[in-house]
Amino acid sequence: MTDQQIIERINTSLAEEFELDLQDMTSEANLFTDLGLDSLDLVDLVIVLEGAFGFKIREQETVRQIRTLEDIHRFVIDKKRSLERTA
Amino acid sequence: MATPETILREKPVAAPPAVPGPAAVLMTLVVYPLLIAWTFFGLLVSPLFFLVWRLVTGLPAGRIARQLIWIYGRSWMAIVAPFVRFRRAGLDQPGIRPPAIFVVNHLSFFDTFCMALLPFSDITFAVRSWPFRMFWYAGFMRLAGYLDVETMNWEECLIAGRRVMERDGFLLFFPEGHRSRSGELQRFYSGAFRLAREFGVPVIPLCLVGTDRLLPPGRRWLRPARVELRALPPVDPAPFADHGELRRHVKALMAGELKAMRQERPA
Repeated sequence: MTDQQIIERINTSLAEEFELDLQDMTSEANLFTDLGLDSLDLVDLVIVLEGAFGFKIREQETVRQIRTLEDIHRFVIDKKRSLERTA
Repeated sequence: MATPETILREKPVAAPPAVPGPAAVLMTLVVYPLLIAWTFFGLLVSPLFFLVWRLVTGLPAGRIARQLIWIYGRSWMAIVAPFVRFRRAGLDQPGIRPPAIFVVNHLSFFDTFCMALLPFSDITFAVRSWPFRMFWYAGFMRLAGYLDVETMNWEECLIAGRRVMERDGFLLFFPEGHRSRSGELQRFYSGAFRLAREFGVPVIPLCLVGTDRLLPPGRRWLRPARVELRALPPVDPAPFADHGELRRHVKALMAGELKAMRQERPA
C-alpha cells in the first residue's frame, strides 16, 4: 500500500464516519477548527483507523496531540511502516 | 432530497426575546431558589435515605443512586410545574423495555432533568466529562455508574455498557454531544449506535421539544414552556450493514418526528 493509498483510505473512512465533505479534507485542515471535530470524536477516530488498517492503536497520548489531517496521515503511515518492518 | 438538516431548517426555532417578560422573571425568581434549596436538602438527607433504602430493599448501591436521581428529576418537574406543562407520548409501546439504548436530541441544560418523564428509573446516562465537575452531582453520578464517554476509551465503554445490558438496564445517550443552538439536529456521534450493534439491543429514539424555550444555551433566565417527550418505535440494529447506516436511519427518523412535533405546536 503506497502512502497515497493510505491517505485516501484515511480520508474516505473519516469522511464517512464524521459526515465530512472530502473537498474540505486538505492535509493542513485542523480537525477541530476546520472540520468541526472535538475531543469526543477521538474515541471514534481511533476505532475508525483501527478498522480501516487492522491494527490496534495504544498510543493514547500521541492521538491526543493530533491536530491536523496531516498529523493523522503521518501517524498512520509511520505506524504501518513500523509494523511492516517488524513483521 | 430532504436531509435531516434541511427538514429541520424549514421551521427554525424562534429566537427568545432579549428582555424577559413578567412570567419569565417570576419563574426565574421562584424556580432557581427552590431548586437550589431542594438540591441542598437532598444532599443533606440522601445519605440517610440511601442507607435506609439499602437496608430495606437490599438493592445494589448503583440501582438506588439511579432511582434517587430519577426522583430528583421528578422533584424538579414538580418545582417547575406551575410554569411548564409536560407531556409524554409513545412510551407504552410493547417494544420499549430493557435492555435497550435511548437516544435523545439535546436542546437545554434541563434535558437531563426531563428524562424523569420516562417511566423507568434504572437508566445509566452516557455523558461528557463536564457534568462530573459539578461536585454536588458528581458523587451520585459516579455511584450510579454513569459513563464518562469523553474520558473512557472504547474498551472501557464496552465493559461498562455490557454491565448495564446484563442487568437489564437502559443506557441513555445524547448523540449530538452538545446542546443545539439552532434547534436543528447536529451531527450524531457514533457511540450509542456502535454499542447497540455490539450488544444486539434496540435503539429507542426519543424526541424532545420545548426545553429550548424553557432554557436554551447561553441564557440564564427561565421561560414558561410546554415540554413534550415522544418515543419512536425501537429500531433493531440487526438489518443495518454498519453502525453508520443505523446512525443515519435513526437521525432521519428523529428529524422527521421533531419537525412534526414542532408543526403540531400552537404558535
